Amino acid sequence: MNLFGMMDTSGGAMEAERMRAEVVAANMANAETTRTANGGPYHRQEVVFAANRGDPNFLDSMTEASGASPLSTSPGINKPALPGQAAVAPGVRISAVVEDPSPPLKRYDPGHPDAGPDGYVSYPDINPLTEMVDLMGATRAYGLNGAAVQAEKGMITSALEIAKS
Amino acid sequence: MSMQIATELSDQIARYLDLSTAEAKLTAANMANVDTPGYRTMGLDFEAEMRGALDDVDRGRGPRKVRVTEVDGLIARPDGNNVSVDRESLNLAEAQLRFRTGVALLREEYQRVMDAIHADK
Repeated sequence: MNLFGMMDTSGGAMEAERMRAEVVAANMANAETTRTANGGPYHRQEVVFAANRGDPNFLDSMTEASGASPLSTSPGINKPALPGQAAVAPGVRISAVVEDPSPPLKRYDPGHPDAGPDGYVSYPDINPLTEMVDLMGATRAYGLNGAAVQAEKGMITSALEIAKS
Repeated sequence: MSMQIATELSDQIARYLDLSTAEAKLTAANMANVDTPGYRTMGLDFEAEMRGALDDVDRGRGPRKVRVTEVDGLIARPDGNNVSVDRESLNLAEAQLRFRTGVALLREEYQRVMDAIHADK
């Protein structure tokens, strides 16, 4: 059993959560941005998390001797964690960063250089509350996985003690 | 009389360490997916696995595969995810303590063998 694989799982999750926090920061920084490279106002970005398949060795060790996954051989008790995925200790990854398609907010400001012919300026539809809640979620999840890394380090350190006399 | 460094007890403790590692690993995976929509918490029955592992040691069989199942009785969020942070934190602490216990026992057992080796001094 590989103890370091656990660090990969937790470390990967920390990376994903940090990315999520970065996206939130970008959203808040661009809350008033009316010009982007694609033209038009900035659109809110959002990360999509997906469970990984987990490392193949772990998959192996968690699979019945028959070669089939224990989760697919006995339906009823064991259901797959995610449809179409190996239900085995998956880590997490960011599968996509998607753009919020909601229409921009219109604000009347005819003096603004980006104002339309009707005098309205398109601003990104960014709600500071939503962003802060998302940021808090990311921070907490980051801390949770950080605590897991700490625990794993403790386990590895104690395993090293077996050899000491 | 045959010479034996790895005792039956040390074999049993090794299985115990393997199992607590598997438990910690599953917990780490559950924690990693705390925000993944649709993810279901995975777990293992430690006592049942340990019983099976002890039986394997008795019969001289190698390590068996661990049965991982979906955990029942957890409340799912609207996005289908049912990871409970409290449960996972508790499980991680438990797995960690089990591991440390196993290490302490194994050290003790190896120390016994060492003492036998150095018995003439």
